[in-house]
Amino acid sequence: MVDVYVPETLEEAVSFLGLHAGAAIPIAGGTDALIDIRTGRSMPEWLVDLSSVPRLGDVELDGEVLRLGALVRIRAVELDPELGRRATAIVEAARVLGSVQVRTMATVGGNLCHATPSAEMPPSLLVHDAVAEIAGVGGRRSIPLAELFAGPGRTTLGPDELLTSLLARAPASSAGSCYLRQTVRWSMDLAGVGVSASVEVDGTVVTDARVALAAVAPVPLLVEAASEAIVGTNLPPEAAREAGRRAAAACSPISDARGTAGYRREVVSVLVPRALRIAWLRATGAWTQGVPAPVNGMSTGEDL
Amino acid sequence: MRIELRVNGDMYRREVEPDLTLLSFLRDVLGLTGTKWGCLTGDCGACTVLLDGEPVVACLQLACQVQDREVTTIEGLGTEEGLDEVQAAFVSNGAAQCGFCTPGMIMSVEALLGSNPSPSEAQVRESLSGNLCRCTGYNKIVDAVLQAAQDRQMANDGS
Ligand code: FES
Ligand code: FES
Repeated sequence: MVDVYVPETLEEAVSFLGLHAGAAIPIAGGTDALIDIRTGRSMPEWLVDLSSVPRLGDVELDGEVLRLGALVRIRAVELDPELGRRATAIVEAARVLGSVQVRTMATVGGNLCHATPSAEMPPSLLVHDAVAEIAGVGGRRSIPLAELFAGPGRTTLGPDELLTSLLARAPASSAGSCYLRQTVRWSMDLAGVGVSASVEVDGTVVTDARVALAAVAPVPLLVEAASEAIVGTNLPPEAAREAGRRAAAACSPISDARGTAGYRREVVSVLVPRALRIAWLRATGAWTQGVPAPVNGMSTGEDL
Repeated sequence: MRIELRVNGDMYRREVEPDLTLLSFLRDVLGLTGTKWGCLTGDCGACTVLLDGEPVVACLQLACQVQDREVTTIEGLGTEEGLDEVQAAFVSNGAAQCGFCTPGMIMSVEALLGSNPSPSEAQVRESLSGNLCRCTGYNKIVDAVLQAAQDRQMANDGS
């Protein structure tokens, strides 16, 4: 039977994890952790309940920098109007994760640290340049979010380490972002393909961009070659399509119940231009459909 | 572990195993069997209850993490005299067939109407997307929710 330890401070949490390395796992919302235990995928002796550790649930906006505590609930992200404007992709990803009940319980940090290749939050955080802040027995460190993921279900965190927060860029103007996904069902489904894009503009010219993918590789991917295809342009359709082709070339999908590898690659080449287009329309202020946008990539009009 | 929490307005203090779920606590410890035992993986919503007014799936919630909080279950709705507007609308619209999904559905609806008293049909469908029903085909449930929203607003305007 599994026992529960409730640390009051971050220091207590990491030293307990260090002391019980391999036998203790942190629990936040519990929506992945308890299923893993029930199905035998994980068999910890200890659950370290992080809910009493101070400040892990804070959301702060300081200038362009958004700090999301690891224990911020997905539902809180979904319903934050300021984040909807400034970190649209992150809110769109939050909005399609699980169900209302699951979003009410699940946390941003839990979604990242469970390291499911199809997880909703990573691509959007990646296109917002997220940095992961990590605490361990030896102190604190920060890494680009992409370096947190080691493989399906695996992170680069040490046994005594915890993700404490994410620092993301959330510019107030001349920037836009978007998250689209392909699913079989509208809700309670995992992404067959997840695509996020962010664009910064000077007038209508793209000055910077990011493209990130989920569910098409062992880890979430930031595809620099794709964004490079559109920097310096007004995002003509051919440049957007080229970004899509490059993204499709960069991924290494598997075939499973949610689609074949070839289908997934094809979907990437369609959704990347579409996500870039929506991000660009938002950045230039031409997006008139309000926020959030259509949530299911396959349902957005081809004519964008 | 010792927990202290409020369920449907009443305070409870109990000694529980650390890995006991809120679902087992409600059904087996308190005998409140209105909250249903379905998939146990967070998918079906039959175990939905409100935690401080927000909908959660009780099968993925540890009881020991509900310390000092307020839980509302289907047993906490309505009064001795009658059903609340949502329950009544489910009955009059034929929105419950076998009834297994109904308590969870109704708790999700209570959460929705608590934050959005006059939801659109799309908002109703979205907030119920974590509650599976194998019987009704959902349309009667959506009708019931839209009617309950109206009935409740009328009741509130009248009072
Ligand atoms: S029993 Fe909890 S969601 Fe199905
Ligand atoms: S009424 Fe039977 S499952 Fe919904």
